[in-house]
Amino acid sequence: MPELLPPLNDKNLPWLDVIHPIVVHFVIAMALISVVFDLLGVFTKRRNLFEVSFWNLVVATVAIFVAIIFGQVEAGLANPYGASRDILNYHSTIGWSLSGVLGLLTGWRYVVRQKDPTSLPSGFLVIDAVLAALVFCQMYLGDKLVWVYGLHTVPVVEAVRSGALS
Amino acid sequence: MTTNSMDLLIEIASPINEIVDQLGANDLPYAIPLHPNLVHFTIGLFAIGIAFDFAGAFYPLEKRLFRFLALPVTRTGFHDVGWYIVLACAVITFFTVAAGFYEMLLAVPLPGIRSVIGQNAIDTMLWHAIGGVALLLIIVAMTIWRGYQRFAWRKDLGRQVSWLYLGCGALILVIMGVHGSLGAWLASEFGVHITADQLLAAGADLNEVLP
Repeated sequence: MPELLPPLNDKNLPWLDVIHPIVVHFVIAMALISVVFDLLGVFTKRRNLFEVSFWNLVVATVAIFVAIIFGQVEAGLANPYGASRDILNYHSTIGWSLSGVLGLLTGWRYVVRQKDPTSLPSGFLVIDAVLAALVFCQMYLGDKLVWVYGLHTVPVVEAVRSGALS
Repeated sequence: MTTNSMDLLIEIASPINEIVDQLGANDLPYAIPLHPNLVHFTIGLFAIGIAFDFAGAFYPLEKRLFRFLALPVTRTGFHDVGWYIVLACAVITFFTVAAGFYEMLLAVPLPGIRSVIGQNAIDTMLWHAIGGVALLLIIVAMTIWRGYQRFAWRKDLGRQVSWLYLGCGALILVIMGVHGSLGAWLASEFGVHITADQLLAAGADLNEVLP
């Protein structure tokens, strides 16, 4: 695999900056806003808001697979150390699980919408809560990898390359 | 200013030192910065809001594809997404900018570093700050413009947004990309609010202090 990529820079990346955190904008924002608009749609009884949440769910589902592809490449180059190894493992496991959850959810929603785009089964709100909880966990773990352990930042990469950190 | 008076100014310590015992190794009173998490929403929502208005604008071309896929899609549906999502973006971006300024006031970038484009830390921070306020104003202006198109000027038209609005939206996304890169470098190169980077700069052994 490494020989397929361009040479690595001082962030141990074959490209300028980490791409995974950019792609996850579209998973995090779209999945959570979809939950918000489901709630708004139920409470305000404005049925066209379900259309907003449906399309955002579709975008989140497409985006998570792109996020996983870049996440796997960048995780492979991340050189995790200490407890960040475990965090990266949890982050990967939840990430793959979320792709399944989002895929199922979008599929179910598609079927429901095909019958009547103006209705939302109330059970969907329960699943929405699970989805939001999973996304928050995933954000927290990813945040720890960047903001606590500094993976793919210049000083940490330098320390790993010099052998000071393992 | 003469070199002499410059030397004297450097002797003035940062006001952050007065509260340093209340901050963690990352120079914040909490472990994970808020601003980068709010940024997911500002960028994600704005990009997707504009994208769905594009989808609504090109609806006549897409119609056959949706029929082919048996996917019930309406043009109004796409424009609903475009409007509500940009509106949500405008609301949340006030918090993004507010959190950004709070965390910028507490930022301690690593010294002697230049980013990919040759900027030093304070230039990157100042551009990112000014750009952030400018983008907030632009997003709010775009949302008001979008609202007028939806509820007044283009109320009875199939395509709810003008081509100019879509063009502006695309241009703003490019500016956001550059602006976001400045912010990303504050973290990945200047080590702002990253516990590991700050500890390494202080000479700590991460194998011991960050197990």
